[in-house]
Amino acid sequence: MSLLSVNGVSVAFANALGTFTVLDKLTFELQPGKVLGLVGESGAGKSMIGRTIAQLLPNRFHVTEGDLRFDGRDMLKTGAAEQRALLGRDIAFIPQEPLAALDPVLTIGQQIREHLDHIGRGAGRRPERDWRKVAIEALDAVHLHDPAGVLDKYPHQLSGGMCQRILIAMAFLSQPKLLIADEPTTALDVSVQARIVGLIGDMQRRHGTAVIFITHDLRLAREICDDVLVLYAGKQVEFGPASEVFERPGHPYTRALQLAIPPAAGEHRGLFTLPDRMPGLMSLKQMGGCRFAPRCPLAEARCHEVPPPDVTVGPGHRALCHKPEATPGIAPPPALEHRHRDPDAQLLFRARDVSRHYITRARLFRKPDTFPAVRSASLDLAEGEFLGIVGESGSGKSTLARLLVGLEGTSGGTMELLGRDVSGMDRGTAAFRRENVQMVFQDPQSALNPRRRVGEIVTQAMEVMNGSRADRATRAAELLQEIGLSPEMAQRYPSQMSGGQKQRVNIARALCTVPRLLIADEIVSGLDVSVQAQLLELLLHLRRERAMSIILISHDLSVVRYLCDRVLVMYRGEVVEQGEVDAVFANPQADYTRKLLAAMPGEGAPAAEKFAAEEAFA
Amino acid sequence: MPSLPLWLSNTRSLIGFTLLIFIVGAALLAPVLAPHDPNEQDLINMLLPPFWVEGSDAAFPLGTDSLGRDILSRLLYGARVAMTVAIFATLGATLLGAFLAHLAGYFGGWVDWLIGRIIDVWLSFPPVVLSLILMVGLGAGLWNVILAIVLVDWTRFCRVLRSEVMVVRRRDYVSAARLLGFSHVRTITREILPATLPLLITLMALEMGIAVVVEAILSFAGMSVGNEVPAWGQMIADARQDVYNAPSTLILPSFAVFVTVFAFNILGDGLRRSLDTRLTQTERA
Amino acid sequence: MFATIMKMLLRRLLVAIPTLLVVAALLFVVLRLLPVDPAAMSLPPNATNDEVAAMREAMGLNRPLPVQFLIWLGQLLSGDFGMSIAFRRPVWDLVSEALPATIELAFLSMIVATVVGVAGGLLAFYFRDRTAEAAIDFSSIVVLSLPEFLWALMLMLIFGVWLQWLPFMLRLDPQFERPVITGFLLLDTLLAGRPDAFMSALRHMILPVMALGISASPAIMRVLRSSLLDTYQEDYIHQARLRGLDERRVLLRHGLKNAFLPTLSLMGVQFGFLFGGTLLVEVIFSYPGLGNLMIDAIRNVDLPVIQIVGLAYCIMVLVISTVVDMLYLVLNPKLRVR
Ligand SMILES: Nc1ncnc2c1ncn2[C@@H]1O[C@H](COP(=O)(O)OP(=O)(O)O)[C@@H](O)[C@H]1O
Ligand code: SF4
Ligand SMILES: [Mg+2]
Repeated sequence: MSLLSVNGVSVAFANALGTFTVLDKLTFELQPGKVLGLVGESGAGKSMIGRTIAQLLPNRFHVTEGDLRFDGRDMLKTGAAEQRALLGRDIAFIPQEPLAALDPVLTIGQQIREHLDHIGRGAGRRPERDWRKVAIEALDAVHLHDPAGVLDKYPHQLSGGMCQRILIAMAFLSQPKLLIADEPTTALDVSVQARIVGLIGDMQRRHGTAVIFITHDLRLAREICDDVLVLYAGKQVEFGPASEVFERPGHPYTRALQLAIPPAAGEHRGLFTLPDRMPGLMSLKQMGGCRFAPRCPLAEARCHEVPPPDVTVGPGHRALCHKPEATPGIAPPPALEHRHRDPDAQLLFRARDVSRHYITRARLFRKPDTFPAVRSASLDLAEGEFLGIVGESGSGKSTLARLLVGLEGTSGGTMELLGRDVSGMDRGTAAFRRENVQMVFQDPQSALNPRRRVGEIVTQAMEVMNGSRADRATRAAELLQEIGLSPEMAQRYPSQMSGGQKQRVNIARALCTVPRLLIADEIVSGLDVSVQAQLLELLLHLRRERAMSIILISHDLSVVRYLCDRVLVMYRGEVVEQGEVDAVFANPQADYTRKLLAAMPGEGAPAAEKFAAEEAFA
Repeated sequence: MPSLPLWLSNTRSLIGFTLLIFIVGAALLAPVLAPHDPNEQDLINMLLPPFWVEGSDAAFPLGTDSLGRDILSRLLYGARVAMTVAIFATLGATLLGAFLAHLAGYFGGWVDWLIGRIIDVWLSFPPVVLSLILMVGLGAGLWNVILAIVLVDWTRFCRVLRSEVMVVRRRDYVSAARLLGFSHVRTITREILPATLPLLITLMALEMGIAVVVEAILSFAGMSVGNEVPAWGQMIADARQDVYNAPSTLILPSFAVFVTVFAFNILGDGLRRSLDTRLTQTERA
Repeated sequence: MFATIMKMLLRRLLVAIPTLLVVAALLFVVLRLLPVDPAAMSLPPNATNDEVAAMREAMGLNRPLPVQFLIWLGQLLSGDFGMSIAFRRPVWDLVSEALPATIELAFLSMIVATVVGVAGGLLAFYFRDRTAEAAIDFSSIVVLSLPEFLWALMLMLIFGVWLQWLPFMLRLDPQFERPVITGFLLLDTLLAGRPDAFMSALRHMILPVMALGISASPAIMRVLRSSLLDTYQEDYIHQARLRGLDERRVLLRHGLKNAFLPTLSLMGVQFGFLFGGTLLVEVIFSYPGLGNLMIDAIRNVDLPVIQIVGLAYCIMVLVISTVVDMLYLVLNPKLRVR
């Protein structure tokens, strides 16, 4: 008998404008001890499935139809108290943001004890020593150093990875039958990610727990899941064994997503770019046929009118499509031919032993405590070159970027731009640098002034040059065109755009003054792969059209591998390795680079083995 | 129906605004509306009750005080003092406080340190005590009251706005503006000020209410505009001796203070909602 | 933990000294703006010009202002607080009689404000998104719009004059003699073994304490409610529910503990303002505290008293904000441990 069976379950959201379906007739099963992956772009409704199972839907959301059984129990009919008794005991959750999911004013020990009381293992009457012993054992099982010490710590004293281990330990305390992990590694560094994934897998096998693993990372899903469910705009578009789904995708969407991801190893190939984006909740009602039709490369007339059938395409493998047999025909574009740097290209930018120390604590009468965010970094960049900077969070990538554009002064070292010294922060240097170097900021939410219209934002540089209104409007239209947005967008406010569109505006603003070097800080992280592919194409387009250099900061190695000529690896403020992308990826020299490469999900070794190798590192 | 501006599209703001129109109207039209000279003493008609009580006199609709002065006329003229103080003291405190807040929050470093220490010193006085002491030094008079309130209350703006400026300053669009060649002044006025403006406006509405209260307190203590100008606080102070036989002389000016402050508070609350400024910030003012 | 608190206290003390110096200088300068001659005022009205001149010389009034300030400061430090011009008594005596009364009043009012504010905040939060919330919210604005001295007058009118339930003048019924042990009346009546006098003193305090407490509570209530709403957006609240905790536990153990922190930092400021409120409330209830002393001194342009009472208010505000900061430190592990 299956542990979880979901049969035609729909969830809707009701407001003054009407009722909107968020999840549409989901139907799948989960066997005890198996891992089910939920994949799809953000907003597809992945998290909503977890909340539906927990019966903790946000306000105004409710289940409209269907049958949801967990362990033989009709979940839609259980009362609140009974439901609560299941949560934390038989059904456990691992969150996306481990640091935010622990109460900041309670110690780890207090929180574990509260959980033990809830699941009936702490039993308030038992002596202090007892629960501590249980807690320490649990923390030990997730490979935390000094578990006894951790019990007396507060969340802010621990790293995200440690917090996630604690939450995993808590989740498994009650030997749950089902674990729901909602993007448990998205907020973590690549190297930590692999270990956490390995740990979840390890615990899952040891306790025979079934897992619903929610992720937008297809490579990860492929690595750890038995079954996969692909979700698109609230619809279950494909369901089947992971090997089947990824080897022989039946739905064009699954195939397109796979091809939108730059390969981490092996042959270079082009990226498949899905146009546009997933329709929003409100617009779903008007769509008669297949919800994917507006973006589907295989769409034909009937797709827009007739809802597609749920076709069985293999053993236990279903796809919601009119012609799943055509899916394998979707081919990636050919590999890029750009990977030939002009050896005679002129030197554009040179940095030597650049460093930056932050004062962490000012002291009276004594030298202040400092923290070296960047230590003695050197780099050369030729005209037209694409340089990638990789490293984990806190390794100094963003600080280096801010030093290079001159947003902050250096603590030492020299920088040269087109042969002119730009180490100083004086007005002349700033103006010269401004003309030639611009920066694209990571988070468009913070980088775009919500009170300005898009047209104003992209031509902001002309404001100080006293550009006339007409000039600015013309330039705005040009820029929007160049980055692939329609000129009407100039009238919008950032809040009226999607994440990908905002990021384009963010790029356009930096392009206004036609800089020779663009520094892009994590501009594709946190975006869906389809949007990421669109933006990467945009950068390549700019390179072709403008012969511009780019320094691309990313924690995603495959993005750097896809786009850049050379790569620079940072670790704890230091440049530990730099070289041609292919050379570094094929034959890494620094220990840290090797570790980073090994941690990438996808074509490498299975997670469990990697995990073992990783532990040796920690 | 023509659509109202955003900041009025909220029942609360509308209630506050309507009340304030009446109060400002009463203040402006006081010479026309008032049946008597507010300082005219009529010793035959002392402590007349208001119209709803037996024994009232139609010539004095709200009765008279212990010197036989007409309460209605004094209330109307008192509104002039209250509104003048509310408007000018708030303008002054806003200008001074917002200027220093943006300076401190934007530049940080020693500028911030210095302004922060000044605020600390100011905050170690209860505002009422500080304004009383200032009034002792400055002497009575309408403009001195306004000056005293400005000198005390600029810190309310400065404290709350400063932390807001610091939040906005950390946004990447501020760095982006600098990278595009914006000067500090332009960055502050074009990128930061628009973001802090909603909070500023909300604080101003609340500050007007506070100014009315402070003026009432000062004139209650006899340290405000002076005896010859009718002010609500003074009417309340004068009425204390008659609580037993003429409670209305106490209640009416108290009610005037209450309604005015309520109007400003409900307007401020409405603004806070429609302009989406956070409650914890404004409440801390 | 103890060490962190001591370190913080030490730092606060180090900051308090320059702050008080600046405050003293400020008081000194502002009051010198007055067009009155302290020398003439401290002499009988029939004093001759020569006598006044001699007095000016003796008081150092002919010297430059900074020197005068230093002289005054030196006197303060040597324990000489000067003589009151109006009362013809040492300022120290006047202040030390009035100060405990004000502290008692302020302390009880803070307790009332906290209890009413926290209860109201929890209630408003509990009824969130329901009609009851709008009603609670609206009444909080009404309460907020009546300043404390008007609350005092209205409570006096209703409970003192009309209903005659409670006394509203002075601190004790006339038949009791005032025991003086610590200077704090409530304490002293108990120590003297006079529960009847204690009850009388308590009854006298109800109206002023209510006036101050009630008018300070809406701000606390509103901030608590809004920080509870913010806290409930946090992941750890959702995660606690996903672990199967019931709503009451989520609120009391996780929600309130976190939401109380911003509320506490507001209370630090709010309680500083509350001392200002005691001033008029004391006057209204003829309560023999610093406020009454201050108003009397202001009426008589009694500069020595004004200066010292002003300083006394500052010290009380500094103490209360230090206490609140200390509590904050204890309750907020992010500040306590790194
Ligand atoms: N609290 C909420 N209020 C309104 N809409 C929501 C809320 N949470 C999620 N949604 C909407 O529900 C849909 C599904 O969201 P979600 O399950 O979070 O998707 P995913 O996890 O796949 O990113 C989205 O359209 C999202 O905007
Ligand atoms: S039904 Fe048509 S539009 Fe939809 S996925 Fe299949 S081929 Fe594409
Ligand atoms: Mg999600």
